Amino acid sequence: MIDVQEGNDERHNRLVVPPLAIYVHLPWCVRKCPYCDFNSHAINGEVPEQRYIEALIQDLQLQAPGVSGRLVGSVFIGGGTPSLFTPAAIARLLEAIRGQLDCGGMEVTMEANPGAIEHGRFAEYRAAGINRVSLGGQSFNATHLQALGRIHQAGETVKAAEELHAAGLENFNIDLMYGLPGQSPQQALDDLRTAMTLSPAHLSHYQLTLEPGTAFFHRPPALPDDDMCWDMQQRCQALLAENGYHQYEISAYAPPSRRCQHNLNYWQFGDYVGLGAGAHGKISSAGAHGEITSAGARSDAPPAADSLRIQRTTHPRLPRRYMEAIESGQGQPEVRVVTDRERPFEFMLNALRLMQGFTVEQFETRTGLQARGIIEPIEAAVAKGLLEPAPGPGWRPTPLGHRFLNDLQMMFLAPPPVAEPNPN
Amino acid sequence: MQHIRNFSIIAHVDHGKSTLADRLIQICGGLTQREMQAQVLDSMALERERGITIKAQAVTLLYKANDGVEYQLNFIDTPGHVDFSYEVSRSLFACEGALLVVDAAQGVEAQSVANCYTAIEQGLEVLPVINKIDLPSADPEKVIKEIEEIIGIGASDAVRVSAKTGEGVVDLLEELVLKIPPPKGDPDAPLQALIVDSWFDNYVGVVSLVRVVNGRLRKGEKMRIMSTGRSHGADRLGRFSPKAVVVEQLGAGEVGFVIAGIKDIDGAPVGDTITHDARPCAQALPGFKQVQPRVFAGLFPVNADDYEAFRDALQKLKLNDSALHYEPEVSTALGFGFRCGFLGLLHMDIVQERLEREYNLDLITSAPTVVYEVALTDGSVAFVDNPSKLPPSAELAEVREPIITANILLPPEHIGAVLQLCTEKRGVQKKMQYLGSQVSLQYELPLADVVLDFFDRLKSVSRGFASFDYEFNRFQAAPLVKLDVLINGDRVDALSVIVHRDNAYFRGRELVDKMQELIPRQMFEVAVQAAIGGNVVARATVKALRKNVLAKCYGGDISRKRKLLEKQKEGKKRMKQVGQVEIPQEAFLAVLKLGKK
Repeated sequence: MIDVQEGNDERHNRLVVPPLAIYVHLPWCVRKCPYCDFNSHAINGEVPEQRYIEALIQDLQLQAPGVSGRLVGSVFIGGGTPSLFTPAAIARLLEAIRGQLDCGGMEVTMEANPGAIEHGRFAEYRAAGINRVSLGGQSFNATHLQALGRIHQAGETVKAAEELHAAGLENFNIDLMYGLPGQSPQQALDDLRTAMTLSPAHLSHYQLTLEPGTAFFHRPPALPDDDMCWDMQQRCQALLAENGYHQYEISAYAPPSRRCQHNLNYWQFGDYVGLGAGAHGKISSAGAHGEITSAGARSDAPPAADSLRIQRTTHPRLPRRYMEAIESGQGQPEVRVVTDRERPFEFMLNALRLMQGFTVEQFETRTGLQARGIIEPIEAAVAKGLLEPAPGPGWRPTPLGHRFLNDLQMMFLAPPPVAEPNPN
Repeated sequence: MQHIRNFSIIAHVDHGKSTLADRLIQICGGLTQREMQAQVLDSMALERERGITIKAQAVTLLYKANDGVEYQLNFIDTPGHVDFSYEVSRSLFACEGALLVVDAAQGVEAQSVANCYTAIEQGLEVLPVINKIDLPSADPEKVIKEIEEIIGIGASDAVRVSAKTGEGVVDLLEELVLKIPPPKGDPDAPLQALIVDSWFDNYVGVVSLVRVVNGRLRKGEKMRIMSTGRSHGADRLGRFSPKAVVVEQLGAGEVGFVIAGIKDIDGAPVGDTITHDARPCAQALPGFKQVQPRVFAGLFPVNADDYEAFRDALQKLKLNDSALHYEPEVSTALGFGFRCGFLGLLHMDIVQERLEREYNLDLITSAPTVVYEVALTDGSVAFVDNPSKLPPSAELAEVREPIITANILLPPEHIGAVLQLCTEKRGVQKKMQYLGSQVSLQYELPLADVVLDFFDRLKSVSRGFASFDYEFNRFQAAPLVKLDVLINGDRVDALSVIVHRDNAYFRGRELVDKMQELIPRQMFEVAVQAAIGGNVVARATVKALRKNVLAKCYGGDISRKRKLLEKQKEGKKRMKQVGQVEIPQEAFLAVLKLGKK
């Protein structure tokens, strides 16, 4: 019942390098929100803008050789609150990226928080090269904004959206959360309706979850129960669809032409260079044929015909540490090789978030593995009604599979490695 | 031999037996102060934690009495709980006397009465000892009267001690030497040594605790285990002081250990006789009667790969716990395991804990049950120790349940509550007598209702004052039915129970509610039903889980997400799959938790 092509050697010896994106992390916020588990730090005095931008540019210079000759499809400047940086600083950063790497008409997104943006600035950011903005609106209800520890007022999000339109940045997203402390389904719907009156190109609609390492996790607020959150989700999704915001990922809604290219690249297991404090990167390259991908790691699956090397990179989380490392010439990110046995899960962790699922071709080119190696979990998932065949040919989660995505994804976790006999 | 005294102590849980034993060891110099650890004889961690003695242990002490003679005192420790009366009678076989230790404040308890009678039947000299005289609430006179009235032995000159402070303990030793007779036996006759206990040591193999009845065993001699007919060299002989001390020989009347390089765990069964290979005795010692397990349950390894290790562990435990029975069992819900027979629920608990701690096994237990005698329509009679094996009702002429005779002793102020409990447990009163300051009750009760939670309930309704002992009486026909649990239509064999028809609806309701509480919400709705045959008597629904998905995932650190899903997957692996439904292990113990809110 599984239609996976037997790999022919010709196809598997051709190395296809995935598309490339750049993620830049600007780690400062005016205040740390109690639900946020991102790498963000409350400003202590002034943002060291000049110094940090210089560090980012050096970081870029260090990493650029590893991706030379590859076309950059998107840049995403996230945080933190990137709008705390001046348009001039952003311009300098983007110039450096264009100078170092091969960039076409790429999507360049910057995150902005409504309470941390000066009037009239969007036009300047646009001039600096930003062509997409993601607004951290979260809610339009004063009580809920306060409960979330947000520094902005509902009116500021409205004003920011108006200014975005005025500045010609119609391609913007609004982040909204539901399942907030004390929120009713009606209030969740009201938030969405207000957001849609601002005509965003894209809406990200997340359920608030309590993440380890956050203030909410340690002192959990009273949240609506599972059944109520589910009710909110269903009603909100229906409202979004009625208004042309089609769900294409677990929490992302937009008309097909307005999907976020940068995030799609993550979900399709593309490559990205991570610049900045705590930024993560993922880079694929041709490995030596037959090379064992990391010390001691051994795949139980038949060896991939291709030897694709996939590495993940990490920078120090603390901004000061990051800058010092770069400045002292120790700025190369820490590298960890993704072994063959880890790749199916890492691919599925991303690809199965998409409504469209993945194609066999994508799986094989992005992981360097043959799809027949994952037939077993695929068949098990199909039998459980979590996965179904899709055009491509490929596979996509069923509606049940999307609801129980964790259960589906964990089916692709490699079994614990068999203990190696002690050589002594 | 005239200077040997073999004795054990009969006492109820908490009456201070272990403390007294420690004091005896200390006075006789068995251990230095530094080596003294409270309650040294309860060597299993489990025993010390629970404050009870499970396995018999022996210790040899040297005591220089006032008559100037040094006596060898062999003290064989005995368990104090109702489940282990069998162990007690075994220990008594090796003794000529017993100390009956009674708490000066609490008085005589039922368990001690039963054990005391066993000792008297076996011809032992019983010395009453009143302990805890240091307590402000101590009333030795009242307790002496109770011993005389309830047990019927003279106690007017009972020794009064405080094991805690040491007061009177030397007097006790003098009394012991004076009153307990020395062992009889012929040192020149062919060797006859009774194996009182055996256990398996991973380094030396089987270690046996023996009582030499006739003859003597010297180190290096060829000895023969009579039941197997196999001979072994007596590599090492010794005594526990309580430290193991190697000796050259064990003579008639002595108690000590033998290590003979026996690696086969069935090589030296408890109750067997050891003799000389060259000059064997004419016949084996009487040994012990086999005990019948009364409570059965299926034990299954959580990880199917542990099955062989589990079998091995059961074999080793069985070696010195002959009351433990087991045979392979296959459950559709729980896989491959063993049907195990126990003396009671505490025994079951302890075996399970020992398997988990000492053998590092992760086990899941099905609902415990008693053995039923069933008469089939074809005239045959069978015994059923597994509810799921009860033949269909069409083939059943009669189901008979085990009935026990229970003896309960309690202070009069709790009589109302205890009578009510006995009635609730379908008991029939046989006798009620006021003896001293206590009431003695005799009831006939269905064992099934006793194993469930009777002991705990009795303790709680009497504020801990009631004590209880029982013995099997007979099988008796009763309107019993099998109650099945169905999960989304699939019968779960490990959850079936046999219940009285009158209780079936109530038990079904309770069981279903408990399961509903314990089964986590899943991708789909789960229906839990209790049924008698095709007749559903109770139903509950576990609502479907709405979703299980991470709200956000971008290009950041994926290791935490992986760990989260790995943890979820690990949690699933620990569940048992019934059809599509994942059932946590605790659910299988739900039957045990009923009625305990």
